[in-house]
Amino acid sequence: MTKLSQMNVIQVKDLTKKVKTLEGELTILSGINFNVKPGESVAVVGASGSGKSTLLGLLAGLDSISEGHIFLDNEPLHEFDEEARAALRAKSIGFVFQSFMLVQSLTALENVMLPAELAGHTDAEQQAKSLLEKVGLNHRLDHYPSQLSGGEQQRVAIARAFVGKPKILFADEPSANLDSKNGRLIEELLFELNQESGTTLVLVTHDEQLAAKCQRILHIDAGQQIDDRAGESFYVG
Amino acid sequence: MWAKLALKLFRQELKRGELTIITLAIALAVMTVMTLSSITDRIGLSIEQKSNEFIAADRVLSSNHPFDDEIYTQAEAFNVTTSKIIYFDSMLFAGDEMQIASIKASDSLYPLKGDLKVRDTLEGDSYIVSQGPSAGNVWMSDTVFYSLNIDVGDSIEIGAAKFVVEKVLAEEPDAPFSVFSSSRRVLINIDDIPRTEVIQPGSRIYYRTLFAGDEKAITDYYAWLKPNLKDNQNWYGVKDRQSPVAESVNRAERFLLLAGLLGIMLAAVAIAVSAKRYCERQYDPVAMMKTLGGSRITVRKIYLLHLSLVTIFAVSVGLFVGFVLQGVAVDQLAKTMGNTLPSASLKPMLIAVFTGVICAVMFSLKPLLDLFDIPPLRVLRRNLGDTLAVSKIHLGLSALTVYLLMLAYSQNIVVSTILFVSSAVLAGVLFGCSRLLLSGSRKLGLKPSSSWSLAIASLQKRANANSVQLISFALAIKLMLFLFVLKNDLISDWQSQLPVNAPNAFLVNITQSERAIVSDYLTANSITTTDFYPVVRGRVNGINGEKVARSVSAQDNEKKDEEARSGVGRELNLTWIAEPPKHNEVTQGEWFSGVEGGETSIEESMAERLDIKLGDTLDFLIGSETFSVTVTSMRKVNWSTLQPNFFIILSPDVLSSFPATYISAINVPGESKRALQGLLRDHPSISIIDVDTLIKQIRSTIEQVSMAIGFVLVIVLLCGALVLISQVQASLQERMQEVVILRTLGARGRLIKNAILYEFFLLGVFAGTVAAVFSDVALLIVQYNMFEQIGNLHPMIWLVGPLAGALFVAILGYSMIAKTLNKNTQGLVRAL
Repeated sequence: MTKLSQMNVIQVKDLTKKVKTLEGELTILSGINFNVKPGESVAVVGASGSGKSTLLGLLAGLDSISEGHIFLDNEPLHEFDEEARAALRAKSIGFVFQSFMLVQSLTALENVMLPAELAGHTDAEQQAKSLLEKVGLNHRLDHYPSQLSGGEQQRVAIARAFVGKPKILFADEPSANLDSKNGRLIEELLFELNQESGTTLVLVTHDEQLAAKCQRILHIDAGQQIDDRAGESFYVG
Repeated sequence: MWAKLALKLFRQELKRGELTIITLAIALAVMTVMTLSSITDRIGLSIEQKSNEFIAADRVLSSNHPFDDEIYTQAEAFNVTTSKIIYFDSMLFAGDEMQIASIKASDSLYPLKGDLKVRDTLEGDSYIVSQGPSAGNVWMSDTVFYSLNIDVGDSIEIGAAKFVVEKVLAEEPDAPFSVFSSSRRVLINIDDIPRTEVIQPGSRIYYRTLFAGDEKAITDYYAWLKPNLKDNQNWYGVKDRQSPVAESVNRAERFLLLAGLLGIMLAAVAIAVSAKRYCERQYDPVAMMKTLGGSRITVRKIYLLHLSLVTIFAVSVGLFVGFVLQGVAVDQLAKTMGNTLPSASLKPMLIAVFTGVICAVMFSLKPLLDLFDIPPLRVLRRNLGDTLAVSKIHLGLSALTVYLLMLAYSQNIVVSTILFVSSAVLAGVLFGCSRLLLSGSRKLGLKPSSSWSLAIASLQKRANANSVQLISFALAIKLMLFLFVLKNDLISDWQSQLPVNAPNAFLVNITQSERAIVSDYLTANSITTTDFYPVVRGRVNGINGEKVARSVSAQDNEKKDEEARSGVGRELNLTWIAEPPKHNEVTQGEWFSGVEGGETSIEESMAERLDIKLGDTLDFLIGSETFSVTVTSMRKVNWSTLQPNFFIILSPDVLSSFPATYISAINVPGESKRALQGLLRDHPSISIIDVDTLIKQIRSTIEQVSMAIGFVLVIVLLCGALVLISQVQASLQERMQEVVILRTLGARGRLIKNAILYEFFLLGVFAGTVAAVFSDVALLIVQYNMFEQIGNLHPMIWLVGPLAGALFVAILGYSMIAKTLNKNTQGLVRAL
């Protein structure tokens, strides 16, 4: 078994993802190697179809890998079955999605409470109210997603992502569905909460401005990792 | 913790109406079964109780030997009431007059069911009495009075005993239906039998014991009796008798069961569709829950709890509504019929709960299993899991459940298989046709901006979903058409047997010389009559020259001739007639065409029993004369018509030379019945058999069943509507997206509305057309197999099917979408 460096919250080694298609086996990702330190922010960038979202799914344990290793919060994710991966997500991971992914039948408060309830926390409501207040939605607690604007829905999603104090936060194009003003507000909120709680942030984006705010940028092209450097220097270069 | 979350999600889903259709569908299935089973049960019990009056008991045990005492002691132990009857024919003497008559000797408990009616004088009014005559007294029918030329108060002798004629016997509940039975009826007390000394070795005496009690007690008693029954003992109830009432009861029960079955089939389709839609709508929340760390077990527990809650709630609602509805229906029936219906047993409730639970579990199981398998990765790849939606296992499981439910409910493998296979073939044909038609309609060359073009494009785009929708619509329309036509055919078939002026009495034993006098008498009294049928008593002695076995007497320890060919074993009533009777259908051969040597036409079941084929020769024995004729035709006889029916009809050239008596069916209004007494007085050999009570009973049965069928149709219609609603709701999300796109592109409201209306219209026309074809084919088979009706094609439903389909689907579908169409585009975007 590959040894995990205690310094890294995410360690990826020789990661490969293959899928079976009608035409045969297709390699989506191959030879991915990188580490992420606790509290670090990493942007994964690349063209459409380059494999960014696949990488995010694998890192979060939403999908199983074909080859290689992923250690997440000291746990060998590549050895886990679906149930164990779910338990790890409940303990250590938060998510923000491009399409918000709120449960339509639950109110803003109930949506934020959901991960804490699934993890069996007894103070779910308290945590959720406090986070919704932080994202400025304490007056919208009982509103359903359809009664909220896009920006508000994404703020609920961010509050949900931070409930239970996750060690790692994964974000998939968090501002892509919003206008530029709301998009910037969401980004600011995301980084503010990230820094405040010391959470590690891994986000997938097309947005150069957003990627540049991250400490590191990982560039993926056609399933291959072609670059890994500091955020400020990426676009300058 | 999971339960709290599950309840929260359940409450919200319930509020949002996501569970409404599935709840309604389960509730409707339960309500259908509860209502129909209860009504069937209660009407069945009522009809049976009423019908039991025609055998004066719940069950009868008959024999030509006396019964052992244990029969009675055991009956008492099982809490079953008994009444003893002895029958025999004997000569009555009154001064110089004498007359042979059928004597019935009963105990004080007779009749156990039904009413015994008497008159104090020949001209008086009849009234009900609770028991038969006391010892020493005799009650006799009118004809016996006329034959013996006596009056009430006179004396007669039967065997060695003398009796005082106390009353005129007007009606016995268990009088025989057969028009060939003697109508000279005499009732005495069973305690007088020893005095008459008529029971001697070799006497032809018939013993009958009547039984009454609750159904369970009788069933338990029969369980004891069955192994102890002797060969010469016969146990029967009203359903065993070949009477028109028994026939009506059986048909009514079969129809109501079939109707219930169709209701369940429709509700099952609605449950399957709505469960699938509900589960599909939960794909995202489940993927999200799994992403947020929810385990598969947690997800499973949450949704199994949802299903349990929905089932419990829906079953309770269905039971309650079903109970209220059957109460209202039964009250209505009772008011109309002027009687009360007995309480239903617990059975309908148990069947309803069982059906509800089975439907809920079996039709939601596969969608639920798919739901549990939704990968969390769906949060990133939105289409993951969609392919799970079309599942052959789900289809197979649903089909198997439907078939098993049909079998369990109808307990008729033939009908269940016919309906199931025709529906399955319909589904397959429709799927293929719809795909062909939808792809072919691309070439219609309509303008892209027209509503028709949009409607067709929309049909093509959702080809798979539309094929499924089409199948559901067609199935619903097919089942509704099927039931509607069957109901009309069944009722009109019944009514055609009993038109307003149906015969309500028979005049029998009219001699050749009296025929003209009777005819004139009837005309003079404005009494309508059928033809006079000649009746000659004769025996079939041989078939193709081979002798048939004669009947043997067990009493005299005779052995049956095993070598001889089986025959009828008794004298038959033969007739001759030039044209086939109106209510008979020649099924094989040709009606009398003048074959030399004489011809005969045989009723088909008798021909089958005796293995008689066309062209065979039958040898007859009439008196001491024998002759042979050729079988030239077979007939199907409708025994439930109240008309004189004959197993064997001979050509006039053979039989007309034999002395015959005549029989005629008459329709005589109640007030004119007295007028007939003059005829009987002048011609005492003529007998009258009154079947008015029987006709009233059949009419009452038909009316009860017709009303029950009305309720059934409403329920089936509701089930059909629910299928449609669930289907439209399943496609609502996609339709809303389309409306948004079209609106954004600047399409006018009228264009979109018309496109949706035309889309449903086209679906309805197509579904209705195919449904009409398939329901007509299924009708032909079911009518023949289940209701013994002659199946006909129904051109009307070929017109009504597409029309009703178009209207039903277009109106219901459009009205469901209309609310969405009236929202502004922004509102629609938000709702998506």
